[in-house]
Amino acid sequence: MEAKQYIGEGWKHAILIIGAIVVMLPFYMMVSMSLKSQQEIQSISGGLIGAQETQTFPVCVKTGYSEETCTMKPYQYNYWFAFEKAPIPRYLMNGVIVTLSIFIIQVLVALPCAYALAKLRFYGREFVFSMVLFCLLIPVHGIALPLYVMLAQAGLVDTYSALILPWTISVFGIFLMRQFFMTVPDELIDAARMDGMGEYAIVWKVMLPTAIPALLAFAIFSVVAHWNDYFWPRMVITGNRDLFTPPLGIREFRGGIDSDEFGPMMASIVTVTVPLIVAFIIAQKRFIEGITLTGMK
Amino acid sequence: MHNSKAHIWFIAPAIILMIIILIFPLFLAGGISFTDYNLGNKTFDWVGLENYDKMFNRKTYVKMIWATATYVIVVVPISVVLGLCAAMLLNSLRFGADIYKTIFFLPVMATLLAMAIAWEFTLHPTLGIVNSFLANGCGGVREFILGFHWLPWVDSQESWYAVACANNMDFPYWLKQKNTAIWTVCFIGIWQAFGFNMVLYLAGLTSIPRELYQAAEMDGAKSTWEQFKLVTWPMLGPTTLFVVTITTIRTFQVFDTIEILTKGGPSKTTYVMMYAIFEKAIQQNLTSIGAAITVVFIGFILVLTFFQRYVIEKRVHY
Repeated sequence: MEAKQYIGEGWKHAILIIGAIVVMLPFYMMVSMSLKSQQEIQSISGGLIGAQETQTFPVCVKTGYSEETCTMKPYQYNYWFAFEKAPIPRYLMNGVIVTLSIFIIQVLVALPCAYALAKLRFYGREFVFSMVLFCLLIPVHGIALPLYVMLAQAGLVDTYSALILPWTISVFGIFLMRQFFMTVPDELIDAARMDGMGEYAIVWKVMLPTAIPALLAFAIFSVVAHWNDYFWPRMVITGNRDLFTPPLGIREFRGGIDSDEFGPMMASIVTVTVPLIVAFIIAQKRFIEGITLTGMK
Repeated sequence: MHNSKAHIWFIAPAIILMIIILIFPLFLAGGISFTDYNLGNKTFDWVGLENYDKMFNRKTYVKMIWATATYVIVVVPISVVLGLCAAMLLNSLRFGADIYKTIFFLPVMATLLAMAIAWEFTLHPTLGIVNSFLANGCGGVREFILGFHWLPWVDSQESWYAVACANNMDFPYWLKQKNTAIWTVCFIGIWQAFGFNMVLYLAGLTSIPRELYQAAEMDGAKSTWEQFKLVTWPMLGPTTLFVVTITTIRTFQVFDTIEILTKGGPSKTTYVMMYAIFEKAIQQNLTSIGAAITVVFIGFILVLTFFQRYVIEKRVHY
């Protein structure tokens, strides 16, 4: 019996390890290419990190740098040259600006509304809530085209506003926070009112602090979705490099695929992808909770 | 009871934004789809159903519906079943489950666009490790396993693997070939989606009370398969319904991999709806036909969600 169980466990691990290898393949390829020299990439040699021989890189010299500057190890060259060629920090900055603005506005809009739907009694409340439920069915990517037409008519294409505006309303956020606020005891709010707090103060000083865990999960949900979003930025940002979000930056690097320099290209892609992956590995539980939030619907 | 008008200020921003950003565009898309309006035009004419007529009769759009349907029909069931299998395997492990969980969830997290490019290189005919792995395996165990030589009806000289080996390592150009591109894109879709489903199923599995398994065992359901049939599967009903719906909706919206890897080609075999909307309306400025595709697309999604919420939901809750 014992031995049989161990064999069973062994089989399971064998299957899962094969699965894990397939899942990790592109990650391996990405990191490996960002470290190796062009020759090693083309001959598929050198394993994960390559031989790392110091050499002079011809493309770098052609770009106008001195030979001395262009002599270094492949991994140094790939990452250094990636940053030389593209304003990567700018792309990351844009990513931060856009995702944070979206999240903050979503909270500013959703929290008071959720509070009103959960705790205030007023004429038409049921109607507003059913409107929220209906809007939950609408995928924003699906209505991208009419939104684009509207933004184009307003002359907002190629601006930060175009990146942010369509996401300012998160009906899912309203729904989620409302469900959460329903569980907050009325006594807490009544007590706050007795203390002379106004409704605004109640939302931000009483309700907000109780909602921190739910809000954190929602933050991760929202930030991950918009950091990774490619479709919408691709629609509304046509040429202005200063507004590129990380995925648009990635697309630009990919333009270099026909050139003969894969190392720096992959290095830039790794740089843009890594922040989120590191954050995920550090705070896995929260991330999984946040991203599967939609599971609570 | 309070007596303020605060609620108006609380709900007004949300209502206004909902109307402008979510509800009005639905009507706008519907309206434009009956016209010949293109962005930048000053005027337009009503053309009735002409755009829809084009959509269901022109070859391009018929191919679009086929590509979208193929993608959804392949990716949804496989990623759901894989997610369930992974969840059940992990649930029964004695150690190491967390590591696998992290690894399988990575694709869900990582920027899909970046990973699509990584896959492009992994599957690249001359630079990729997949084809070099296959080429190095000619005549060996890899050929035997992946060429399906172990199946009695496969001739070991005629299998796809053997033929490729014999023809100077002529392995597929996965993303560039008409007969493999859509399946390769599907594969990447499954790769990306199954970890999400796995996590939802893991949550579903932990909520099944242990006593049910003991009860099933007493009733004579001894084997794992019988217990699965009797307890696990029915208890996971609501989870499955949810997982299927959300995966379908997400799968319908596939865009990133298509735009960066195939651009809808070769010969429109991967021309999915979201890409069609983007290509027609944004790149070719054919706003009205894009609007018609949008309407059909939204229609699909709304029908699906209603189906989940009001028809099946009643039957799967125990």
